[in-house]
This record gives sequence, structure tokens and C-alpha cells, in this order.
Amino acid sequence: MLGSTLTDARVQTGFSLAFHIVFAVFGVGLPWLLIVTEGRWLRTGDAVWLALTRKWSRVMAVLFAIGAVSGTVLSFEFGLLWPAFMARYGGVLGLPFTLEAFAFFAEAIFVGLYLYGWKRLSPRAHWLTLWPIAISGTLSTLFIVTANSWMNVPTGVKEVGGKVVSAEPLAPLTGPGALPESLHMLLAAIMCTGGVVAAVYAVGMLRGRRDAYHRRGFGVGLVAVLAAAPVQLVVGDLAARVVEKYQPAKLAAMEALPHTRDHAPLTLGGIYDPDTGKTRFGLEIPDGLSLLTGFRTDKTIRGLDILPAKEQPATPVVHLAFDTMVGAGMAILGLAALLAVVAVWRRRKGVRPLIPLSRPWLVAGALTGPAAMAAMLAGWEVTEAGRQPWIVYGRMTVREAATTSGGIGWSLAATVLVYLGLAAALVLILRRLATGAPPSLAAEAGGPGPEPQDPDEDARAAQDSETAELEGAAR
Amino acid sequence: MTAVNLLLAVIICALAAYALLAGADFGAGVWDLLARGRHADRERRLIAHALGPVWEANHVWLIFVIVATFSGFPSAFGLIARGLELPLAFALAGIVLRGAAYVYRAYGEGAAGPESLWSRVFAVASSVTPFMLGVSGAALATGKVTADSGPLAPFSSAFTLVAGVFAVTVTAFLAAVYLCHDAGTDPGTEDLVPVFRRKALAAASVAGVVSLALLPLLYQDAPTVAHRFTERSIPFVVLAVVCGFGSIAVIWKRRYVLARATAATAVVAVLLGWAAAQYPDLAVGTATARDSAAGAANLHALLIAMGFGMAVILPAFFVLLKVFSGPEADAK
Ligand code: HDD
Ligand code: HEM
Ligand code: HEM
Repeated sequence: MLGSTLTDARVQTGFSLAFHIVFAVFGVGLPWLLIVTEGRWLRTGDAVWLALTRKWSRVMAVLFAIGAVSGTVLSFEFGLLWPAFMARYGGVLGLPFTLEAFAFFAEAIFVGLYLYGWKRLSPRAHWLTLWPIAISGTLSTLFIVTANSWMNVPTGVKEVGGKVVSAEPLAPLTGPGALPESLHMLLAAIMCTGGVVAAVYAVGMLRGRRDAYHRRGFGVGLVAVLAAAPVQLVVGDLAARVVEKYQPAKLAAMEALPHTRDHAPLTLGGIYDPDTGKTRFGLEIPDGLSLLTGFRTDKTIRGLDILPAKEQPATPVVHLAFDTMVGAGMAILGLAALLAVVAVWRRRKGVRPLIPLSRPWLVAGALTGPAAMAAMLAGWEVTEAGRQPWIVYGRMTVREAATTSGGIGWSLAATVLVYLGLAAALVLILRRLATGAPPSLAAEAGGPGPEPQDPDEDARAAQDSETAELEGAAR
Repeated sequence: MTAVNLLLAVIICALAAYALLAGADFGAGVWDLLARGRHADRERRLIAHALGPVWEANHVWLIFVIVATFSGFPSAFGLIARGLELPLAFALAGIVLRGAAYVYRAYGEGAAGPESLWSRVFAVASSVTPFMLGVSGAALATGKVTADSGPLAPFSSAFTLVAGVFAVTVTAFLAAVYLCHDAGTDPGTEDLVPVFRRKALAAASVAGVVSLALLPLLYQDAPTVAHRFTERSIPFVVLAVVCGFGSIAVIWKRRYVLARATAATAVVAVLLGWAAAQYPDLAVGTATARDSAAGAANLHALLIAMGFGMAVILPAFFVLLKVFSGPEADAK
């Protein structure tokens, strides 16, 4: 219950991590997209690419700062809320966190050069500063997630009487979950960024701003989210296999499987009832889980009953969160497949642009943003709630790790208030930034202004060089 | 030198970098808060301009210090975090609000409240944070911080409170000295140089007075550290005093580049004096560096990673400072 120190500490951690991650994904994804847009501008000198680059870099500046301050909160919170955890395992996690700090350094330094260097650097040098930002953002994801994956599968540590006596420094980086989990997060970041960018420009077009600026912004974002989707499925599957092997109870919770059995069914959706072990409203596919995990119907899958009831994860939440993530991932993948077919077909017929821009397609494209964000947050809920009651799987419980200080209720209330205030202000600022193509662009290029265009515009624009570019990006 | 001592040295260096770089950023916020009169708006703009490209990178030094502390001395970190939870939580709130206010002011175009609102938030948060960090550092010397000493313990002695004030005045001093030089590099702001020169001189005098008040309190409230201070830290004190007065002299003579060096040296000398007296305790009476250190293999891995990391980061940092020093010229 809220009000107990343990619950307050958990809620505060979950809340501040979720807040952080929502902004941090753009710090990972936007630099890669900027490399594309600014690179195109360098090569073509086309003002539309420059306008997109300028706009996105302003957005990145704001999101990056919010990501940085909310991330600083996290590094303090580990000590403030989970002192016993840090006291025991801080040394074990030292290497990934230290490497992470250097990645932040690199990111912050080059972001400074990038954002404020428009006039001080040559265009080419300016574009080059994006590379260290993108690479170190990517590395920071990998490092931080390996720390989390070590908490899931803590290998390479010897303890005597609750004290770490020896720890392999490289253990977090080489653990079985490190690679799939961190790649999965990286792809998630790219999908979220791409999806949200696509959504912003799709909404702009739905409101009638069908200019080159919006089409290209939409195209770049959509290609990023759709191209990552199939890879994400493969990597997510790898992650699930690691979970099956090392955290069987988490897998059982994800799949709402109460009893160990062969011919295990796959349950899609539904509300799991911990008292009866039944899932209401779910769709059951016989033998599905055994087939997926073992490639044969009689594979035995361990159920929740390998643990006493008190040590089982919060199955209803974990199951729903898992299905939300996979459902969103499959939906995005479906859209990717459909669009790929349509694009091939339109190419044969010589119809341009390859991606249709009529209403239903724009709505579908816009939905990839919220879907990816929901999948990403749900994925974290799976990882974290599925590990319960452990903070370090099998070694230390969340209860043992928590602070015993009495003031956590205040700090939770303050955190929620401050963050909600900051988020509200941020939304206002982002809305101000989302004003469409800069007026200078329309005048300069003599191109289409922000007014609504007639529906044939798509077909007519086929000859335009910029549509050819969108097509290039789409491939 | 053992791995433990080497790691301590790295942490102190990082702390010094944080004090000199981010410290000046905080101090700039203090001047933002105090800006009055007909120049006020232009002063604020100069401050924002000087901060822009570097504040995020400067701020990472703190993250580095925290990460190095919990990686290298995990059990002490758990204890310190518990004992200092209140001042650290306030410092944290200051860091969050300050960073957010800074970008909201710069990019918000008034969409989320007037610039003056965010300017206020930025300025107040900039002053609160160094105060809280000063209190935290001083509290570690008193021996009154333990895992269950209660949230108010760090505030319960005059020494820690005055140390907090000292930290604020020192950051203000650094910022004023740096800004004297920055203002002079652009013809548009040259007339602000005397304004910041006056501020630098005032801050130096106040910092000197506060440090005089701080010394007897050190002996009263932190006897263990005070004893070691007498034994070990006199050379650093001498250096700090010489550079402190030296700074006043060179600022008086309007030699602002040299003033940066003397001011920085004075601040580093104070920090080293404290560190020397604090050694080998992390929190006096409850945690020494050696007892709370992580395993040897982990420390070695950390140090190796830090060596490689710094080899990449320091040149990049230098480039950053270099590109943004001097007036804006158009791209070559
Ligand atoms: C755009 C976001 C996104 C999408 C589309 C997916 N995921 Fe995911 N998932 C995440 C975002 C995410 C995440 C936020 O990135 C998590 C949390 C921790 C992590 O490493 O990734 C995660 C965790 C996570 C875990 C738990 C890993 C662990 O606890 O060690 C599994 C098993 C999967 N995912 C599997 C999948 C599968 C089979 C998907 C099929 C389409 C899928 N994910 C799509
Ligand atoms: C090294 C990295 C991480 C560490 C050390 C960590 C640690 C923790 C701890 C101590 C808790 C509270 C105990 C609990 O309820 O599980 C928690 C909960 C949570 N964390 Fe993580 N976490 C990490 C990464 C992340 C990330 C990056 C996210 C992304 C958003 C995340 C999402 C959550 C959520 C949603 C909860 C609440 C889960 C619940 O209680 O149901 N975690 N984490
Ligand atoms: C749960 C553990 C996490 C901790 C303790 C943590 C810590 C931090 C810290 C201290 C910062 C500030 C760095 C700065 O000042 O520049 C930060 C920023 C950042 N974090 Fe996290 N982080 C966590 C999870 C993640 C994850 C999972 C990602 C991957 C998507 C991520 C991506 C970033 C990025 C990209 C930044 C730079 C700022 C930005 O781009 O928004 N973090 N984080």
C-alpha cells in the first residue's frame, strides 16, 4: 500500500525510471535520424532537409536536457532508495556504470558542439559531431541495460554471509541476458523515436499540411520504426529464450502458466486470477507455448508452481504487460509487411510515392508512435515486475534492499509533483515547436505553403525530386 | 600507490573539475538571481550565452563522482546516501529544476510560462544546489553522519551550514571571474566587464570572510578532521590564501586570464586541504576508504576503464572549451 516505505520506494523508482526512459529514447534515436536528414542536406543542399534538421535539433536539445536531469535523479535514487542494494552490489555493477558515465561525457560534449556550433563549425564538421552523439547514446543504452540484465541473471559473483567476496568485473557485460536485452532496448529506442516522429508529421498531414517538409519527416520516421520491427521480433524472441532458461518463473508469469506441464498452451490476453490459476477472457492456443519455446508440442514448460505462492511475481500485471508489448510489436510488424507489399506493387505499376499517403495510411503510421512507446514501457514492466520479489534475482529481495528512512512519502510526492509540472511545461513547449515548416522555407523554395493541398498532389508530385528521395528513404 | 588511493585521487580530481566547471555555472546562476538595475537583462543574457554549450558536459562530472564512489566504495555509498538523504535530495531537486528551467527558457519561446519565471527558477535552483552540496561535504567531516542519524543531522551544526554558504560564495566568485573575461571578448558586452569585476572583488572578499568564520567552527564541530587539518593541510591553506589574495590583486589590475588561473588554484587548494584532512575516512567515524572498497579485481577494472575513458574524453572536452572560447566567427 502507498504510504509504506517499501511501496513508496518502488513507486518512486518505477515512476522516475519510466519518466526518464520516455525522454531518453529520443536521446538515443534522434541523433541517428539527424545523421540522415543533415547528411541529405549536405549532399543535396535542399532547404527542406535543413529545415527538418534544425527543428529536430531544437527538439533534441530540450529532450536531451530533460533526459539528463531525470537520469541524474536515477543515479542518486539508487543510493537514496536502495542503499542496501548499492552497498552490496555497487562494486559488481561498477564497470558498466563507469563506462556509462564516459558515454554520457561523450554525448554531452558533442551535443554542446552540435547544438551551439552551427556558426562555429563548418557544415561538414557539424554533421560529423552527430556521430559521436549517436554512437555514445547507443553505447549508453547498451551499458545501462547490461547492468539491469545482470540483476535478472546475476552471474560471476561469490558471496559469503551476504557479503560479496569476489566478483568478476566483466560479469555484467558477458552475462547471458546482456546482449539480447540491450539490443532489444536499442531497437526499442529507435522504434519509439521513429514512431513518434512519424506520428507528429502524420497528424500534420491529416490536418492538411501536405507539403514536402511533412512528407519527408513522416517518411524518415516511418522507415525507422518499420525497418526495426522485424529485427525487434527476432531479438525479443532471443530475450524470451534467455528468460525461459534463467528466470522460469518470469516466463510463467508472462505467459500466465500456473502449473508445470507439457503441451503448454499459449494464452493471449486475459486477466490472470492468482487464486484460481485461471485466465479469464484470454484466447488459448493449445500447445502454443511448448511449440514456441521447444519447437515441439510435448516440451515441458515450468509453471508458477515451481515457487511458493509468496515468491511468485505479480502475474496479472506481467502477463498483460507482456501481451501489450508483443501485441504492439506484431501490429507494427503487420503494418511493415503490408506497406512493403504495397510499395513493391506501386513500384511495379510506377505509382509514386511508394508509400501511400491517404488518410487510413496516415492514421496507421501515426499509431506506430504510441504503440512503440506503450510496448517499450510495457516491456520494462515485464522485466521489472517479472523479477519480483527479487531486486537481484535469487540473491537479494526488494524488501531487503529498500531504505528504512521514514521520509520517502514526501520524496515521492515531491518527485511526482515536480515531474508532472516539468512534463506539462514540456508539452506546451513541444507544441509550440510543432508549428509546421518554417515560413522562410515556403517562400525560399517557392514550394507548397502550409495551406491544404488538393488530393491529386500526391500523384503530381511524383516527378518532384523530393518524392524520389522519400522513395529512396523508404527502401 | 594502492588501487584504493588511486581511485580516491581520481575522485578528488573529478570533484575539482566539477567545482571549477559546474561550480562556475552555479555561480552564474547566483549572479542571475542577484542581477539588478539597468544592466540586469544583458547580464542574464551574457550568463545564458556563456553557459549554453558547456553546462551538460560540466554536469557529467558529478555523475562521474557518484558512479565512481558507488562502484569503488559501495558500502560507504549506501551509508552516506542514507545519512545525507535530505541535503542530497534538495541538491537533486535543484539540479533538476535548474537544468529544466535553463532549456525551457532558451527554447520555450514563452510557450510554458514567461521567460522571467524560468529565469527565477534557474537562479534559485542554482543557489540552492551548491549550498546543499557544501553542507553534504562538510557533514562527512563532522562524524555525526551515520546510517541512522536522522535526516536533519547534516544540518545540525554551524560548521556545515557555514560550509554551505562558503560553497555558494566560492561558486559566485569563480563565475564572476570567468564572466569578466567572457564579457571582454565581445564588443557588445564589453561594458559589462567593470560590472563583473566589481562582483568578483566583492565575492572574493565575502568568501575570504566566510572562510575565516569557517575555521574555528571546523575545530569545534569536526575535531578529528581538524586535528589532521593542522597536521597535513597547512601547505594547501597557504596556497589558497596566496592565490585568494593574488586573485584580488590581478582582478584589480584587470588581468582576467591570469585571474582565472589564480582563482581556480585557490579553489582547488581549498578542496585538497579538505581532502587531505578527511583521508582516510569517507564518512568520519563510520566508513574508511579501505574498509568499504570493492574487490581488488573490480577496482583494477574500474581504473583501467577510467584510464581509457579519460584518454578519449579529456581531449574532446578540451576541444569543446576551445571551440566556444572567443567570439563567434563565421564557419571557415
Ligand atoms: C518498441 C518497443 C518494444 C517492442 C516492439 C517489443 N519490445 Fe520487448 N521489451 C522492450 C520494448 C519492446 C523494452 C522496453 O526494450 C524491454 C524492457 C527491457 C529490455 O531489455 O527491453 C523489453 C523486454 C522484453 C522481454 C523481457 C526481457 C528480460 O526480462 O530479460 C522479453 C522476453 C521481450 N521484451 C520480448 C519481446 C517480443 C517477443 C517482442 C515481439 C514483437 C517484443 N519484445 C517487442
Ligand atoms: C540498471 C538499471 C535498473 C535498475 C538498477 C533498476 C532497479 C529497479 C528497482 C530497484 C526497482 C524497484 C523494485 C521493483 O519494484 O522492482 C525497479 C522498478 C521498476 N523499474 Fe527498474 N531498474 C533498472 C532499469 C529500468 C529501466 C531502464 C526502466 C525503464 C523504464 C525500468 C522500469 C521499472 C519499472 C516500470 C519499475 C516498477 C516495477 C514494479 O514495481 O512493478 N527499470 N527498478
Ligand atoms: C535504470 C538505469 C538508468 C540510469 C541509472 C540512468 C542514468 C542516467 C544519467 C545519470 C543520465 C544523465 C547523463 C547526463 O547528464 O548527460 C542519463 C541520461 C541518459 N540516459 Fe539514462 N539511465 C538509466 C536508464 C537508461 C536507459 C535504459 C536508456 C536507454 C534508452 C538510457 C538512455 C539515456 C540517454 C540517451 C541519456 C542522455 C540524455 C538524453 O539523451 O536524454 N538511460 N541516464
